[in-house]
Formats: sequence, structure tokens, C-alpha cells
Amino acid sequence: MDIKMNYTFDGRLKTVLLVLMGLGAICLAASFFHNPDGYHSRFWSNFLHNSLFFTGIALMSTFFLAVCITAYAGWHVVFKRVWEAFGQFLLIGLILMGIITVGVWLHAHHLYHWTDAASLDPSSDIFDPILKHKSALLNPMMYTILGVGMCAVWLLFHSRLRKFSLAEDKKSDPSDFSAFRKSKVWAAVFLPIAGFTSAGAIWLWLMSVDAHWYSTLFAWYTGASWFVSMICVTILVLLYLKSRGYYEFVNMEHFHDLGKFLFAFSIFWTYLWFSQFMLIWYGNVGEETIYFRERYDNYPVLFYGNLLINFVFPFFVLMRNDTKRKTGTLILVSLVVLFGHWWDFFLMIKPGVVHTAHEAYAHAHEGAHVAIKGMSFPGLLEIGIFIGFLAGFLFFIFSRLTKAPLIAKGDPYIQESLHHHT
Amino acid sequence: MGHHHTSNHIIYGLYTDETDLLKAVQKAKDDHLDIFNVYTPFPVHGLDPILGLAESRLHITGFVYGLLGTLTAFLGMSWIFTRDWPVIFGGKPYWPVPSFIPITFELTVLFAAIGMVVTFYTVSGMGPGITNPILDPRITDDKFCIAFNETTATDGDINKFKSFFQETGASEVNSKEIDA
Amino acid sequence: MSAPISPVRQPLITGSKTYHQITEDLCSPTERAPNATWVIAFLISVSVLGFGLFCIAWTIWKGIGTWGSNRTIGWAWDITNFVWWIGIGHAGTLISAILLLFRQKWRTGVNRAAEAMTIFAVLCAALFPGIHVGRAWVVFYFFPYPNTRGPLWPNFNSPLLWDLFAISTYFTVSLLFWYTGLVPDFATVRDRAKGIRKKVYTFLAFGWTGAAKHWQRWESLSLVLAGIATPLVLSVHTIVSFDFATSVIPGWHTTIFPPYFVAGAIFSGFAMVQTLMLITRKVLNLQDYITVEHIESMNKVILATGSIVGVAYLTELFIAWYSGYIYEQFAFFNRAVGIYWWSYFGMMACNVISPQFFWNKKLRRSITFTFFMSIFINIGMWFERFVIIATTLARDYLPSSWSFYKPTWVEVGIYLGTMGLFFTLYLIFVRVAPVVAIAEVKSILKAGGDQYVEKHKAHHEKAELEAPAHH
Repeated sequence: MDIKMNYTFDGRLKTVLLVLMGLGAICLAASFFHNPDGYHSRFWSNFLHNSLFFTGIALMSTFFLAVCITAYAGWHVVFKRVWEAFGQFLLIGLILMGIITVGVWLHAHHLYHWTDAASLDPSSDIFDPILKHKSALLNPMMYTILGVGMCAVWLLFHSRLRKFSLAEDKKSDPSDFSAFRKSKVWAAVFLPIAGFTSAGAIWLWLMSVDAHWYSTLFAWYTGASWFVSMICVTILVLLYLKSRGYYEFVNMEHFHDLGKFLFAFSIFWTYLWFSQFMLIWYGNVGEETIYFRERYDNYPVLFYGNLLINFVFPFFVLMRNDTKRKTGTLILVSLVVLFGHWWDFFLMIKPGVVHTAHEAYAHAHEGAHVAIKGMSFPGLLEIGIFIGFLAGFLFFIFSRLTKAPLIAKGDPYIQESLHHHT
Repeated sequence: MGHHHTSNHIIYGLYTDETDLLKAVQKAKDDHLDIFNVYTPFPVHGLDPILGLAESRLHITGFVYGLLGTLTAFLGMSWIFTRDWPVIFGGKPYWPVPSFIPITFELTVLFAAIGMVVTFYTVSGMGPGITNPILDPRITDDKFCIAFNETTATDGDINKFKSFFQETGASEVNSKEIDA
Repeated sequence: MSAPISPVRQPLITGSKTYHQITEDLCSPTERAPNATWVIAFLISVSVLGFGLFCIAWTIWKGIGTWGSNRTIGWAWDITNFVWWIGIGHAGTLISAILLLFRQKWRTGVNRAAEAMTIFAVLCAALFPGIHVGRAWVVFYFFPYPNTRGPLWPNFNSPLLWDLFAISTYFTVSLLFWYTGLVPDFATVRDRAKGIRKKVYTFLAFGWTGAAKHWQRWESLSLVLAGIATPLVLSVHTIVSFDFATSVIPGWHTTIFPPYFVAGAIFSGFAMVQTLMLITRKVLNLQDYITVEHIESMNKVILATGSIVGVAYLTELFIAWYSGYIYEQFAFFNRAVGIYWWSYFGMMACNVISPQFFWNKKLRRSITFTFFMSIFINIGMWFERFVIIATTLARDYLPSSWSFYKPTWVEVGIYLGTMGLFFTLYLIFVRVAPVVAIAEVKSILKAGGDQYVEKHKAHHEKAELEAPAHH
């Protein structure tokens, strides 16, 4: 039987993705020039939003591969090269977050309240003792060292797992599982490391946008959001590749399993959302409730929409068994939920940034208020930038897919995965 | 038809392996033999489609029972706290929706589970103390059984049963009267 | 016919068993007279249970004043024990439900005993809220029912009431799940039994025949029950965590409590499953069904959940510093170096540090080491709850009310009594029901039996990337 083992990144898809990336770049540039506050808050918040979102997807695919290796999973092996390709995007993530970091050093943006020198100066009239307390962690040096360090650790583990995976393709003795055994060790060690570093990255990059606020659950919540997004992109990419004649062995059983993951982790995300919200609502401590107060007073559509789009919609559509096996339904749910979690990130980032920008602007302009578009609701530019980043992500992973055979035929679980049925 | 008789005469063959059973069931279907029932010591995968069993609708009843639980809990608590006896607890509103979520979830699960289990035993004709005819005690041990009903079968088919069991490798063939 | 098996998979059933041998091995403990070890263990358990019952009677007769709890530390051993038992009760449904959904075949060796453990542990847990309210005879006031007192309803805003619903639901669903799984196995015992035993098992087996349609419904029911039991497990310990997150000290909580309580519950539950299974497999001669592979898999789960709990402890410490909120910081300062520093130390040592030994494959597969580790973890998880409850309460916002708590003999007696109850029920269970799920083990024989796994390995050596026959 003729099996398409190698992927060719065809010209038409390349053109389409490049055009979309161009569109994204134009939107990003336009958001740079929509600059009423003078800090380019719209541009930088969009940049942070999308960089974090897609870097997280890359991290989650690497993490999930490690989980599967550790948990004796075999079903996913036939398409594991796709997740390996996602993982390689971590390199781009490092560059994207590096740009934000450079911006921190150059004071090019006001994404983070803690970068404001006046707030840390005890003699200033806007001195902020809480930020001063946190400045042991929240300062440009720690931001750089920890951010780059964590990305580097992820890349290290990703590259090791990838290396062992490729080594399995080339082995001459089919009963030689030395590479697989090594990957098991690296995968297991990665799990606790990923647990700590993903939490650290989320605190540093994301939670510190609302620099006064804190929640111990926040890192898990964000991680779940990334995970669901990763499953959505996986379903979409696999369905596309299948439609082009690749991965004929990826059958409806595999999609059914991915659909189950999408369903289960949408519920898990909701569970974490509710746990965090409930405890803060119930405890009624002002330091904490401010986060939700801000969001449901000023972002009601996004706040409630977040639950509708990321819980109610996937829950009721995917509850039935047969909907997880229909291509059209899977595409629809994956697209909507992917957008939904991007929307969730919007809601996590923008209110904090706009708050900081307003405060800084008011401080510099004697209490004047400034209106910035695209901060309280995604505008056309925001959508355009999202599409651009998504196209960039896809362009990158499709070009990575050409570098190795699509099917990891040396994996010890490959036969189980090829004959996967439940 | 069953109601003409007070008992059914069942002829059954025992197989020692599920792969033999699956082949035999397939052959019975191909030969258009009317299978009375198939009994196995554990759920055999791939048997349902060959046997032509329609997918169980038990999970649909589960959804309905669950929904009933959701409504009971949520509407019940809402009625108590806003209509029957409104009290403010700890500064929370009269209608504290987040506070209702845990109990609503629990009752959804409780109703679904109890409802489905009761439905399962009822439709399967099982329950505490109920006895159903057992063709062979080894069916719950290591024997896989195909049974034909000679009372309802045509004469032509009855003649085929014995040879069918022989051809498909049944280790034993027996017969038994059971109540209709 | 059967699906391919990866050459790196290890067999889950050893001894080249046939279906009939599985029936023999797993039914026989219920068919022979108890041996001396069982009788002695049973007598000890019943005696300890008897002492526990006496202590409960003493509490109810004399009042809660017989306990060491005081006005500041209103919850202490009672609620610590309650959470400890509930936590242990989580592994059963986890193994049955979550591992079923994830198609982890190794669950079949241990799911039955773990489910039984769940039910007994929940019974032990439910005892504590029942008696700690003081007037145990009006405990039905907890439930919302139309009454002549107004009508007055319970407070639906209270996590303690949510907990009542959570525990009752969890107990009921676990019982239904467990019993539904037992029915086909009771039928197996019935079809081998004679005389009075036959009558008893005929009653218990509900008229099971093994018909194809019944199996189909049974599997569908098991799957849906597993599907709803999975969020149920999460919800129950989440709600338990709400008890503490919302009400131990007003205004104090950490939002990570829900998932970290769940991870901790799984952690302690698996530890208790190990304790029980290591003894059971030896006494009932079930080493072919509960293999070192099973033990190693469970140790991996213990390592994973122990590390998750560790990440959560450190997250709490970090956020306490990060928050800049002095009450939050004090809560953790008090835990680590306050009057009960030793329980914090015990918690960290047993829960976070000791499971790390399981990184070593030799230790993970060592039966003796696993047994001691499982005891350690159970102690550590008890300390965790004690830290959260007693340590926190001992130092509230009003220094003049700060207090110290130590248990009385009555509280220790009740705690021991629950152990007696737990082991009495478990010992009865191993006598009357197959400890390993017979039908489920048979259904994985072709995929997990050592003779089949070996055959597939040989096949793999020859195979290249072959296309599936059908797709």
C-alpha cells in the first residue's frame, strides 16, 4: 500500500498563509499607529496576547507528549510528529517573548505596572508599597533571566524528545528500544519541571499584568486554557492534512479521542474557572475581588461570553458520541473554542494593561483620561492580528513537518496506534 | 409465537474461545439462522455489530434523569431562597447563583446515576432475588454460548442447528426447556 | 483477530492463565473456610471497632466536652479524620472511572478492591460530621425538607451543606457503580455454589445470565457512570476544600485548594490501595493478577500526584510572599514555624519528599519499600489536614484567644474505631465477593495475559510498517 510518509508544503497553502501573515502584520502595524496614550498600549498588548497564546500551545503539546510517553499511551503515536512540530514553535515563542523583554528594558511599553520607576520610588507621590515589595521578583532582570531560562529549559526537553523520536525512525533492529527508554526518562523528568516552570511563566508574563492581584489557582487555569487551545489546533491541522491525502491511518477513532479530550478539558477549564471565581466571590476580600469586579462591570459581554463559548457550546455539542466523529462538527467546535480561549486571554490581559495605561497617562497629563480602542472589546485589528499569528504558527509548523517522516514508524506503540479502535 | 407455548425448547452450543464464537455468530447470520440469544462470561468486543444489536439508549435516559436533577436542585433552591423564606446570609444576595452550582451538580449526577441503574435492571428483567433461566452454569465461567429456540424455529432450520454447531466447532451441544 | 500489542508493554496477568483458571483463582477465596490469619485479623478489627463504638457512645452521652476541641479550635481530630477518610475514598472511583475512560488496562487488577475501599472509607468519613455536631439525634436537620418550623430551610450558601450533598451523592453513586460491577461476578460465584450459598448468591446476582444484550447495556452503563463519576470525584473533594477555603478563618483562603485537594485525595487513596493490595495479594495468593506492574503503575501515580501536591504547597508559599498581604503571610509562617511546626514538617517530609524515592525504578518495584511508603503517605496526608485545620485555627486574628489543642482518649478511640470499622468491612468483603473483577480480568486476558503478550512480541520482530486491514 502506498503510504505518504513525507509532507510537502505545497505552494498554494504557502501563499494563502503568507497573505494572512501579511494581513496580520498590517493590522499589527496599524495598531502601532493607533496610539492615543503615547505608550503604544494597543500594539503591545496585542503582541503580548498572541505571543503568549501561541507559545502556550507549543508548550502544552510538548508537555502532553511527555504525559503520553509516561502514561503508556499508544493511540496518539501515528500523528505525534504534529505535536513535535508544534513544540518547535517554542523557539519562535522565545523570540516573541524576547521582544517583549527588550521592550521592558527600553521602556518601550507600559504593559506591566511594575516597570514604572516612579511607583517604586518612595519619594514619589505615586509610590506603591505593594509593587516595591514585589520588585524582588518583578523587575527587568528577573523577567529576563526567568523568562529566557524557562523557554530554554522547555526547548532543551523538546529537542531531546524530538531527537529520540527521530532516532527511532532510523534504528536498524526493530526490537531496539533504547531511544524510547531514554525518551521515557526525559519525559518523566519534564513533568514536574513543566509543572513549576509553566506556573512561573504564567505568573511572570501574565499574572503580573495585574500587578497587585494574585491567585494561587491562576497558573492552572491558564494552563488549562492553553491545553484546550492546543487540542483545537491539533484537530484542525490533522483534519486538513487528512483532506490533503496525508495521515490516512488517522481514523475517526483518533478524532473521537481528541474530541473527548476537547470535551473533558473544556469541562476541566470551567471547573477551574468556577473554583477560582467561587472562592474569590465567597471570600469577598477586596484585594482579590477587584479582578472580577473590573471584568464584570466593564467587560460584561466578554465575561459571560467566555463561559458560553468555552463551556456551554462545546459541552452541549460534544456531549453526544456521534458529534465527536463528524468532521464538520469537529471543525466548527475547534474553531469556535480556539477563538474562545484567545478571547479568554484577551480578558486576562487587556483590563490590566489598560488600567496601567490610564493611570500612567493620568499621572503624566494631570488626571486626563484617554480612550484606547481595541482594549475593551476585540476590534477588527485584533481579529486581523490573531489571524496573522495563527497563519504564522501554521506556516511554521507545516514547514517543520517537512523535516521528518509524518509517521514515526520506529515507535514501539506504532502498531497499536495504527490499529486503534475502542 | 411465544404465547402459544408455556415453555421454549432451546438448543445451544458451547464454544471455548470468543474468536470461535464470533465466527459462528457471523456464519449463523450468513445462513439466516434465527439466533435466540448469545451468552458470554465477559463482554466480547465486536459481537454487537455482528449480532445486529441496536446501540443501547441507556445514556439517553441518563441525560433525561440528569436534567431532572438539575432542574429539581436549581429551581428548588431558587424558590426557597427567593419565594418561600428569603434570608440574607453573609452578605450574599437572595439569589446567590454561584452558591447553587455545587448542589445542582451533585443532584444532577445523583439523579442520573440512580435513574440509569434502576432503568438498566428494569429493562433487563433483573433485580434483587430475581431468577432467570440459566442454560449452563459454565457460561459465567469459560464457555461462550449460542442458543436457538426450536419452539419458534421452522422445521427446516431445526434440522440445520446440529450441523451448524458441528461445522463451527462447538465443543458441546445440549438442549433445555425454559419458561417462555 | 485481536489488536496488536506494543512490544514494550508488560503482561498484566502472569502464569499463562486460562479463563477457567481465572474463575478458580478469583472465586476460591469466597469458597473455602477462613484461615487463622483472617480470623485473628477479624477479631482484632471487631474489638477495635467495639472500642470505637464505646467512645462514640461516651461522646454522645457526656457531650463534646469529652474532646480536646475548644472555642478557638472548634475543628480538630474529628474533621481532620473526616477529610482523611474522604480523601482515601477517592482512589476507588478514580481507578474505576478515570482509568476506565483513559483505557488503562491495569485498572482491572485493583479496581474492585479499590471501589470497596471507597465505600468503606466514605462510611468512616460520614461518621465524623454526624457526631461532631453534638446532638447526633437531630442530624436530619441538615437535610432540606418541608417542616413545621417556619418552614426553615438549611443555608444553601454554606459549603458544609454542599458537602452533605456531595458526600451522600458520592456514596450512592460509588455503591451503585461497585455493585453493578459485582453482579456478573456474583453470578459466577452463584453458578459454582451449592446449598445455602447458592440461595444467597442467587439473590445477590440479580438474575444475571450473561446475555449479549445485557452485556451491551452493562458496558454502556459502566461507561456513563464512569463519565459522571469522574467529575463527581473532582467535585466532592473540591467541595471539601471549599469547607476549609471559605470557613476555617474568615477571609483566609487560597484559590488553588480545589485542584490540590483533589490531587492530594488521589495521592492518599492510592497509598491506601497499595497498603491493602499488598496484603491482599499475598494472603489470597493473587500475585498473578496484582503484579509488580500494577504496583509500579500505582507508584507512578503516587509520584505524580505527590509532586502535584508539592507544586501546590510551594505555590501557596510563593503567593503568600508575592501577595504582600500580611494575614496571608502569617498563615503560612505559622504553619512552618508555629506551635505545630512538626505537623508541617511531617506533611512536607511524607508527602513531597518521600514519594521522590519512586523516581528509582528498583524502589518503585520493591514490595517492602512500597508498603512502608504507603503507610508514610497516609500519615503525611493526615498531617496535611491537621495543618490546614488545627494549626490555622490555633492562631486566629485575636491573639488573646490563641489556643492549643491536644486530643483526648475519646477522640483517639473514635479514630481507632473507624480503622476497626474499615478493616472489619474489608475483611468481610474479601470473604464474600471476588476481590479482583473476574469478568473484567477475563476481558483483558488476550491483551494482557503473559502468553499472549509474548506471542505478539515475537510477531513484532518480523513486522515492518504494515497497514491496518481495515480503516
